[in-house]
Amino acid sequence: MALVHNWQLDRAMSYWYPESRPKKQFAAVFDTNKCIACQTCTLACKTTWTSGQGQEYMLWNNVESKPYGFYPLGWDVQLLERLGGQSWSGRHYEGRTIFEAAGAGERVLGWRPDELDYAYPNVGEDDSAGAELQTGAFMELPHTKWFFYLARICNHCTYPACLASCPRSSIYKRQEDGVVLIDQSRCRGYQECVRACPYKKTFFNPMTSTSEKCIGCFPKIEMGQQPQCFVNCIGKIRHVGWISRPEDARPDNPVDYLVHIRKVALPLYPQWGLEPNVYYIPPVHVPRSFLRMMFGPGVDHAIESYRKAPDDPDLVGLLSLFGSSPQIVPRWKRLGDSVIGLTEAGAEILRVPMKEPVHIRKAFDLAAGVTRTNTP
Amino acid sequence: MRRLAMRLSVLSAAIGCLALLSCGGRHEKTTPEIVARGVATLPGDPEDRIWEKAPVHVATLLLQDMVEPRLLEASTTHVRIQALADGSRLAIRMSWDDSTRSDLLAPGKFGDACAVQFPVEGGADLPAPQMGEEGRPVEIAFWSAAWQALVDGRPRDIHAIYPGAKVDHYPYEAGSLEPGSSEQTAMESRYAPARAVGNPVAGPHDRPVQDLLAAGPGTLTPAERTLSDGKGRFASASWVVLVSRPLPATLAHTGRAQAAFAVWEGGNREAGARKMRTGWIPISLEEGR
Repeated sequence: MALVHNWQLDRAMSYWYPESRPKKQFAAVFDTNKCIACQTCTLACKTTWTSGQGQEYMLWNNVESKPYGFYPLGWDVQLLERLGGQSWSGRHYEGRTIFEAAGAGERVLGWRPDELDYAYPNVGEDDSAGAELQTGAFMELPHTKWFFYLARICNHCTYPACLASCPRSSIYKRQEDGVVLIDQSRCRGYQECVRACPYKKTFFNPMTSTSEKCIGCFPKIEMGQQPQCFVNCIGKIRHVGWISRPEDARPDNPVDYLVHIRKVALPLYPQWGLEPNVYYIPPVHVPRSFLRMMFGPGVDHAIESYRKAPDDPDLVGLLSLFGSSPQIVPRWKRLGDSVIGLTEAGAEILRVPMKEPVHIRKAFDLAAGVTRTNTP
Repeated sequence: MRRLAMRLSVLSAAIGCLALLSCGGRHEKTTPEIVARGVATLPGDPEDRIWEKAPVHVATLLLQDMVEPRLLEASTTHVRIQALADGSRLAIRMSWDDSTRSDLLAPGKFGDACAVQFPVEGGADLPAPQMGEEGRPVEIAFWSAAWQALVDGRPRDIHAIYPGAKVDHYPYEAGSLEPGSSEQTAMESRYAPARAVGNPVAGPHDRPVQDLLAAGPGTLTPAERTLSDGKGRFASASWVVLVSRPLPATLAHTGRAQAAFAVWEGGNREAGARKMRTGWIPISLEEGR
């Protein structure tokens, strides 16, 4: 075990390998408030990467309804229960990570899903929490019942548990982009990574006897393109880019701005210690205690900032860049009512108006001699 | 440190044998080391009657509790080992008790397996029995119950695992692709990356055994070619497995060598480092009778 720094925990922690950060780190921001669980991302990934024999049950991307949705069944609560109650002191984590809580003979505190845990991809879908729902329930404001959609892919963690757990060192993190991959020529299918990944985003392929996982659509990333689940997101909830260390954060880097500077996007279960690199703008309507368990101590600040976005042109401007280009947009700036996406060299990729222009057309089209219908 | 560990494990294996001889739970007749009897023709089946005449060495299995991830609770306790040699090849028969036949790999499901290991180079100074050491490699023949089932005719498709599975469509079944065409094959391999890059575990398997090399834990690498073969049978809650391989060079030249063994109990979710294993056990060639 080595001692490494995890900025999400504001402390050093134990990890199987010494700290070795990539030159660039793949990172994403998901705005949970905009997700409608249409599963277009899920299908985009499925048809691109996992349509073969042995991959039938694999969902490298999935969207589940929290709190009762899980894929595989109970993936997070199973581990939370095994880890037990832990505590934060402000932004400093005082509890144990899954590396520090590993039992005798283990590299990681993990658990192995049973075969049937993969049999319910839509369990809990749209099930509400917050109060007992009985016959005669009716709409009331504010809502007392709640659920929210959590879109999930591999977090391409800075300290991957899958990588730490593999006794064959078949899993590696690419220096050029931080994407975590399973070497398909080396894997022997021991399923240690399936047991160790707390997000359960590695899957055993029974037809090839190797484990497979989200590859971050690295062939697209290498061409400067956003991954499939990003460009196909009709809710435009996702933005992909590169994250810096907190001390190197740049305000013109969209991910840095949302994660480090404005702190509106938070890691998923940071307490597990993997420094995951998919960041979530938490849902505004969900009880805070639940969100703190899931996204850590920054929840209150994130939601307060997000709620003020309508009066915050930079924040609302950057959010309107989400899903606006198939290209990766690593830099941005706002000019008046427009937001501009830039390459790292500063060349303009796209320009998005913060308010869509309104055109009013007369009901009758004189030139064509027809009445227009309402098709904006 | 590794030398010390190796000596301790040889010592513990020896103590295990003595215990078995004096008051062991199975009261089986055992030779103090493995004796490979010389024969004119090696059997191709672990149930060939010729094995009835071969001496039996009962080896005590030890926990792999030295390298994470470890196995901390013992499962399979003994493996019965017999050996025959024909001058160019060595046939090893391993049998062990197993209440659960596990020959199907699936998420959370593991297969029964066994392996036999020899140092690449002979001599008294042996590498660590746990997969060898850097610069001091070992060669391993690995038998898998799951591969045996495939060799015996189980189809490699999802219905063999889940008979009730309903699959709408695989991309390589598209009407525009002619069955068996190179386009169709390319499309199929696109969704089977391990097979596409030639990983031997991904199949197809023409034999249930794979030859491997290792120079320390975590370094297991396929040999350039698999020269070993084998056959396994499950009956009466036990596996009987034959692994035949080229005669190890040291054994051929000096008549003596060392071998180590491992058994994985799939029903106990054992795979990779989570296994029961032996230390080095002496093996000698005996002239045919």
